[in-house]
Amino acid sequence: MAARLAVRALALLTLAYLALPLVVVIGGSLTETKFLSFPPQGLTLDWYRVVLHDPTYVRSFLTSAVLALAATFFALVIGLPAAIAIARHSFRGKGLLSALLLSPLVLPHIVIGAALLQYGSALGLVRNFPALLVGHVVIVTPFVLRTLLPHFSPGQRALEEASRDLGASGWTTFRLVTLPLIRPGLVSGAIFAFITSFINVELSIFNTTAALNTIPVQLFNYVQYSVDPSIAAVSALTILAAAVGIVLIDLLIGLDLLPDK
Amino acid sequence: MASARLTLFWLLALPVLVFTGFFLIPLGVVLVSSFTAPEDGLTLAHYARILLDAYHWQVIATTFRIAIFSTLICVALGYPLAWYLVRIVQLRSWRRACVILLVLPLFTSNIVRSFGWMVLLGRSGLVNDALMSLGLIDRPMRFLGTETGILIGMVYILLPFTVLTIGTALARVDRGLEQAARDLGATPARAFWSVTFPLTLHGVMAGAIIVFSMAISAYVTPALLSGGKVTVLAMLAFQQYSTVFDFHYGGALSITLLVLTLALIGLASRMTRGRTPGAGGH
Repeated sequence: MAARLAVRALALLTLAYLALPLVVVIGGSLTETKFLSFPPQGLTLDWYRVVLHDPTYVRSFLTSAVLALAATFFALVIGLPAAIAIARHSFRGKGLLSALLLSPLVLPHIVIGAALLQYGSALGLVRNFPALLVGHVVIVTPFVLRTLLPHFSPGQRALEEASRDLGASGWTTFRLVTLPLIRPGLVSGAIFAFITSFINVELSIFNTTAALNTIPVQLFNYVQYSVDPSIAAVSALTILAAAVGIVLIDLLIGLDLLPDK
Repeated sequence: MASARLTLFWLLALPVLVFTGFFLIPLGVVLVSSFTAPEDGLTLAHYARILLDAYHWQVIATTFRIAIFSTLICVALGYPLAWYLVRIVQLRSWRRACVILLVLPLFTSNIVRSFGWMVLLGRSGLVNDALMSLGLIDRPMRFLGTETGILIGMVYILLPFTVLTIGTALARVDRGLEQAARDLGATPARAFWSVTFPLTLHGVMAGAIIVFSMAISAYVTPALLSGGKVTVLAMLAFQQYSTVFDFHYGGALSITLLVLTLALIGLASRMTRGRTPGAGGH
């Protein structure tokens, strides 16, 4: 019982630790002072007005959103077939292939970014949207693959064969049998992919310009010069967008990250 | 058979093409430039510059220290939280709220999260205020620009990954096994350490590997919380590409970081092999 109480206390403290910086950022964005202060002195939404009327912030926000959506889409298009091949087929060099496809997970993003910059400059693939996208696809695909693979089990094969024996086509079997079985993996993989792309600085920083910037890179450049409440407001807006996104995902497809049983 | 091969071809064509073109070849370019110099062709000079220098070793040691402590703390805090969410929380809506709180920081960039800590850990920040009013310290402590400060920020960013991997593993544990251990006379603690914990070890290791590899290559959090006073390997490599434009020495730094990371991950996965569930106990 004491152990249970200790676990509960530690868990609640950890949750508080997770909430704290978010509370500070949101609180700080509401201050009336010209400098950032927490707890806020006075309450105002002025800093949000400043940010929403700043076209560079709005543009960066859109760039980040489109980039993350596109990267997640391509990661699914690349990761799902690769996962099926690795889980369901036997071929030579399978270990090598999965190591290759998973390796961006463990390789420093700074290194991948630098490599793509050096290589991309030879192809003219630098400082434009495709250059950003290519890098993001490479780093987010492993998240899809990694979360998908454990959801394929040998037992599912029997179900798939039964479906084929009952006359379903390969595509119908995939859609009605395989897909529902791997759905939790697909959902969490896509979430991880989107997150990883949306918050990336290390890779984007090599290929962003004043005109084409992502929100994290813009904040990163900004934070190093000044810490004023408008940065807190932008940060609070990204937190809000994230919260809306998560709740939407939860309502639409169910955020079954930690299943009941 | 021929149709199976054809299916395989179509499944793998795109992944192989993309990863060769935009991952393998670019890394190959870095590898080659790390072994070459503009004037004298093939050379080991860039590696000698790193490996024969005390400063570089100090940076490598700092990088590893931060990564190892981040990983240990993330597992130590992540396991109880995962346990709480999977086993203790009864109210579905509260668990849902907790999961959202857990995922929310992941949806926001490192900058936003590190920025929150910059405000919290400053000289007159909330953390120092709280410690002083509790009488634990009488002068503000310096967090920014120290390894402790970086560690607080890193653990904060990486913790959700361990909670999610451990939580998923925990949710899949057949509780009948624990019950059986209890029925056979094991104490709750013994049932946990000899039944439940080994069954979740793969989740722990998966989380630890994600955390370790992200911590060792982290750039943004150390850069923002170090105040230029602590240097990690990723910061050193980035400087070479962004301000010094030395692709050769920068390449050597990148490859060093890469090799060290892979070596430690190889070691970690070797250690868990044979201890994963299904591989049999003792």
